[in-house]
Amino acid sequence: MEFGSSVLEELSIAGDTAHISDQCFNILVTHACQGLLAASNRDDIANDTSFKDTDKGSLKSAYSGLVTLITEATKWDAEPSSIGAVLEECKFTIDRINSFNNIYLAKKPLIQILLGSIGKSPPHIVDVDWRLDYYIKNNHLDKVNQPVYLITLKTEIPGNSELQEIQFSCSMEQLQDLVGKLKDSTKCLEKIGQM
Amino acid sequence: MLLVLEDEHKKHLSFLPSVDIAVVKEFCRISMEFIRKGTNPKVYTSAAQKLGVEADQVQNGVEGLMYLLTESSKLMLNQVDYQDSIIVLGFSEDLREMLLQLYKENRKEVRTILSEISMDLPHYRNLEWRFDVQLASRSLRRQTTPLILFKLHTESYGEQESHILQTDPVNLVHLTKVLDEALQEMKSPYCRRIVRNIK
Repeated sequence: MEFGSSVLEELSIAGDTAHISDQCFNILVTHACQGLLAASNRDDIANDTSFKDTDKGSLKSAYSGLVTLITEATKWDAEPSSIGAVLEECKFTIDRINSFNNIYLAKKPLIQILLGSIGKSPPHIVDVDWRLDYYIKNNHLDKVNQPVYLITLKTEIPGNSELQEIQFSCSMEQLQDLVGKLKDSTKCLEKIGQM
Repeated sequence: MLLVLEDEHKKHLSFLPSVDIAVVKEFCRISMEFIRKGTNPKVYTSAAQKLGVEADQVQNGVEGLMYLLTESSKLMLNQVDYQDSIIVLGFSEDLREMLLQLYKENRKEVRTILSEISMDLPHYRNLEWRFDVQLASRSLRRQTTPLILFKLHTESYGEQESHILQTDPVNLVHLTKVLDEALQEMKSPYCRRIVRNIK
């Protein structure tokens, strides 16, 4: 985990009591985490009255430095000790380093999920619907008399809030084949899980 | 169940007793050929010339046989019902026997052909799966995210399509369980009773 001089400068501002007071520091770190997690929280800091005595320029720099640190630390799965080393370099007090780590570590799993969802992946199956019909006849053929399953796979695509669907039909034998293969893959998973 | 032959159909088939039984046999062969591959009018004219009759008569005879075959196969007539249905044509025993053979030998194939032209939904063909563990991405290193990747092959009117999908272990177990339940449903007393009663 390495940072450019501009980021280190911004972090130094966040660590400096002359710019960010002790009461404000924790609130600022919380805002930085929340801002990362949801776009709707991104402007909250501008409306927070706790910062009415803080210089807007310094606040902006400190916020940007902290967001960069949180993103990079999560991306590299950094240990609290190595985060501490970076912050020490930026003249943070032990108290500030500890409170940063406390607030950040509580949110880290959520930020990991967020960063993990960035990028392309195939549609992710999250549910399935089925319907069982008995196919009796059609305009060309009487006495077809076969069970037919209609299967709908519900899939999720990152960045798309609506579920997509994949629909297909199966005869009894085809569904047996499908379920057999799914059971094989589940077994394979269980075996690996026991290793 | 009997197949009720329409008057026009009977009239078309009435041409058959007027030719030699070997010719009828050839007509039977041609009618199956046409059901498989579609009709070829040239065959009618050349056969008509050889027999010294109108091409229309040959055409009506062969197409009458095709219609008889497809309708009987569609209804899945049993042998007795089939024989009873064609008795109204007033054919000789030899000719009726030949028509019975034609039906017996080809019913299965005709039904396969009919099922191919029937309405089709995209249906399952195959599922390939593999198990991966995602270790890192540009935005997040040091992951261990287990993933099951699927390639689902479906087919509709002979056109094959494949979908690449993925899922996680929890959803895989869920998916397997729900589809297994669907499979068991067909064996339930309710479904069995319905199936027994639809004949």
